[in-house]
Amino acid sequence: MNSFTDWLPTLMIFLPLLGSLLLLVTPKTFRDEVAGFIAALTLGAGLAIWRGGGSDLFRWDWIPPLGITYSVQLGGVSLALALVTALMSFIAILYAARRIPNPGPMLSLILAMETGLIGIFAAQDLMLFYVFFEDALIPALLMLAMYGKSGRMAALVKFAAYTLFGSLLMLVSIIGVRYLGGSPSFAMTDLKQNLVQGSAQTWLYLGFLAAMAVKLPLWPLHAWLPDFHEQNHDSGVPDVMGTLYKVGGYGIFTFAIPLFPDASLELRPILMGLAAFTALYAAWIAFRQTDWKRLLAYAGLSHMGFVALGVFSLNETAVIGAMYLLAFQNLYTGALFLSVGMLQERIGSLDTRVGGVMTQAGALSGLTMALWFASIAVPGLAGFIGEFSILLGAYQVSPWLTFIAGITTIAAAAYALTAFQHTFWQARPAGSVTVRDLVHTEWLILGIPLGLLVLFGVYSTPALNLMQPAVRAVLSALGGN
Amino acid sequence: MLQVPEASLTPLLPILLVLAGAISSTLLGFWLSRRTLTLINIGTVVASAVSLGWLWNRDLSSFGGGLRADHAALLLGFVILAGTLMTLLVTLDTAWRARVSFPEFDAMLMYAVTGCLLIAFSGDLIVMLIGLEIMSLSSYVLATLQGSRRAEESGLKYFLLGAAGSAVLIYGLAFVYGATGSLNYAAIAEKTSTLNPDNVGILVGGALLMLCGFGFKVALAPFHQWTPDVYGGAPTSVSLFLSTVVKVAAFAGMLRVFSGALENVPGWHSVLAVLIAATLIIGNLAALRQTNFKRMLAYSAVAHTGFLGMALLGTPAAGGAALGYYLLVYTLMTAAALAIVAALQRSEEGFSITDMRGLYYRHPGYAVALAVCLASLAGLPPFAGFFGKYLVFQAAFQNGYAWISILAALTSVAALVYYLRPAMLMFMPDRTPAREYGLGQRPPTTLAVALGVAGVTVLGLLPNLWYAFVAHPDIWAMLAGR
Repeated sequence: MNSFTDWLPTLMIFLPLLGSLLLLVTPKTFRDEVAGFIAALTLGAGLAIWRGGGSDLFRWDWIPPLGITYSVQLGGVSLALALVTALMSFIAILYAARRIPNPGPMLSLILAMETGLIGIFAAQDLMLFYVFFEDALIPALLMLAMYGKSGRMAALVKFAAYTLFGSLLMLVSIIGVRYLGGSPSFAMTDLKQNLVQGSAQTWLYLGFLAAMAVKLPLWPLHAWLPDFHEQNHDSGVPDVMGTLYKVGGYGIFTFAIPLFPDASLELRPILMGLAAFTALYAAWIAFRQTDWKRLLAYAGLSHMGFVALGVFSLNETAVIGAMYLLAFQNLYTGALFLSVGMLQERIGSLDTRVGGVMTQAGALSGLTMALWFASIAVPGLAGFIGEFSILLGAYQVSPWLTFIAGITTIAAAAYALTAFQHTFWQARPAGSVTVRDLVHTEWLILGIPLGLLVLFGVYSTPALNLMQPAVRAVLSALGGN
Repeated sequence: MLQVPEASLTPLLPILLVLAGAISSTLLGFWLSRRTLTLINIGTVVASAVSLGWLWNRDLSSFGGGLRADHAALLLGFVILAGTLMTLLVTLDTAWRARVSFPEFDAMLMYAVTGCLLIAFSGDLIVMLIGLEIMSLSSYVLATLQGSRRAEESGLKYFLLGAAGSAVLIYGLAFVYGATGSLNYAAIAEKTSTLNPDNVGILVGGALLMLCGFGFKVALAPFHQWTPDVYGGAPTSVSLFLSTVVKVAAFAGMLRVFSGALENVPGWHSVLAVLIAATLIIGNLAALRQTNFKRMLAYSAVAHTGFLGMALLGTPAAGGAALGYYLLVYTLMTAAALAIVAALQRSEEGFSITDMRGLYYRHPGYAVALAVCLASLAGLPPFAGFFGKYLVFQAAFQNGYAWISILAALTSVAALVYYLRPAMLMFMPDRTPAREYGLGQRPPTTLAVALGVAGVTVLGLLPNLWYAFVAHPDIWAMLAGR
């Protein structure tokens, strides 16, 4: 066993935090460069892990009397999501440095949040997972507090209250999982060998679900999401990080299915129903939005309904699709939030009823449109593979619910194209400002995610190869469903 | 002939050192400035803490088991001294502004600490009671010392309710004596391990009366009503002392009496569970409505009583360890938060939550420190408050009180909201003139704040630094000194 590769996940987790602290003492002139360098280095660490085929489980007894371990592993699904997180954080930094005046605190917070997020994906110990889960919350709140708009206090309280409501119930569940099961520690390897049996498992699963349903978010626990995005800074940078924070699907996949196999099978119909409803309901509401950020928030909610449908169906194809969608949804939704930020910078508004942007800013409009195509699952782009796999797999479990969710894809095209048409095509209002097209790094900011979406939409094998074994391993806990 | 009683004074050393500080403040106050006295007291407190380390692992006792320097006493004593040290550092800066800068203030403070240590070291009910009364009487004076209407009102309220609480406690103590024929913890524990049906009624009655009495002291609902007025009305440095050191001592007494002496007595567990549930709900919901930051912290102290009390619902081994950890963390974070209030407030009423807007851009260091304290109070990792909360949840959960854990989790959501609001306001940009005291940053207060913030951060990342000491189950099995 190579000791350096064992340390790579830890390096990838804490490098951004280190950079975040380093920024506090960095002179203003070098801040952007340092932040960018750290983010690039983190991404590099992730790619190195990928090249090595994922890392082994690294375990260190963190608090021995409490049975809490520092167990981390990046491989399969977790590695894919960590890579996406690192990439989008890098892009967010690239944009924040150019767009936000006095970006120091923002860059620091992006890096601090990156640590929390990668930690969430790497954690293989329930308590460690909880710690990172909450840690990622603090920078998100601070971003909203420092850079938010006038209604941010209400949005902030709503966001935090929903999140904590779920995660504290999860904490009680976590305590229960260990003690009722009799595991010596909170490490997943130990917990999986000491499963809780009987009705207690269902109760604990519900506690766990409370946290994940808020994060997913799943109807009726979604109300914080649109306010959170609407009140965040116009640039869209905090929204990118907020999008990455939707780790509910991953949490259910990695922790809930192996720990509560009977309960997940038992509750499958209800949860799939909720997921399908969330997808359709969010698409319906998105259709009526006139604020780009709220529209994107509801679009994201709709996609998350899809992810939830895939995960809850417990079908291999669907779960792979859900993880695929979860990873690439971050790319296109994040990039779309940034393109909305660019639009806001140019016309000073987030309203969808602007009109005629295409005539002056062709590249911005074109790239945005391509990203929207990825979002509404046009074949050839990565979103399609995810959504199609989910529908294909979920259909084998519950055709009717899948049909309901499937309507969403049509609804998505409707709301996305309507809004796009209003903003970018319609006639240009007389006397409006000239819209500048993309400059400098903006090309990269929209181009890199789009490039990857095309690449993985056409050639999905590397990503699927990464995810498939992990999904199989998790679903094997269900005993050959 | 006068016979000198034979008593080993070695286990008393930490108490005697603090007492020496108190007496020196009383006597030397005629010649020395208060500042010098405070520095002397800081010295005695540090010496006392060192002597705790010196007594570690010796398990000495004195007065026939009436006073015990066992591990539990030393650990709780350390927490008390940590809070005292932070209080003294803060008073160096703010006592003058609060108009309590005279030697009597220091003397009273140190007498109160002597009482607190006596409770932690107690091996029988009488020593515990003596300690409790020394602590309480000194605290009444401390709360009144300022000489303003508000301080007098708060002191009187504190005295009347506290005296009633003490009376109930003594009544309960008499019942317990009547039922068991002993005042010694070990003897009571031995008697109650085989319950004699004739005495059970009296014993249970006594235990419940003592629970009420302690309920007053630690501010368990519905006996908490004095807390917001007293904490809000007293000078902030006194509020700091009352809400940390005095509460820690009262919990130390509860731990000794309930988890030690009366462990096997039926009835008090379920009554305590109901009181804790009420405390969690009332404390958290009332804090949600406060507009004054200091008063909000007072209610948050009530809410934390609920969390701390959950530890007593656990088995002595799990609960004692949880309480031992949580008390230190609670002291550090509450003391640091109130120290910042003391430094930045314009008047002793504290400041309103809306005044905190933009604090980060005026006092970045204090704002970040306060944010850390609030995050820790709210129980957000990686700060130590999280592990404190987790430990008490676990202690109650393991002993069959899952519903209390769930209730505590739900009320924590309210707690998060009221901690979050000021924490986030501090980071919101603001163009209006500053509303806090301009000359607020002085080295001793900053040192106290730094101690608190470093404490909650380090104990949050590496809880084992302190938890390894308190985690040993034997410590808490020996609470009654068997």
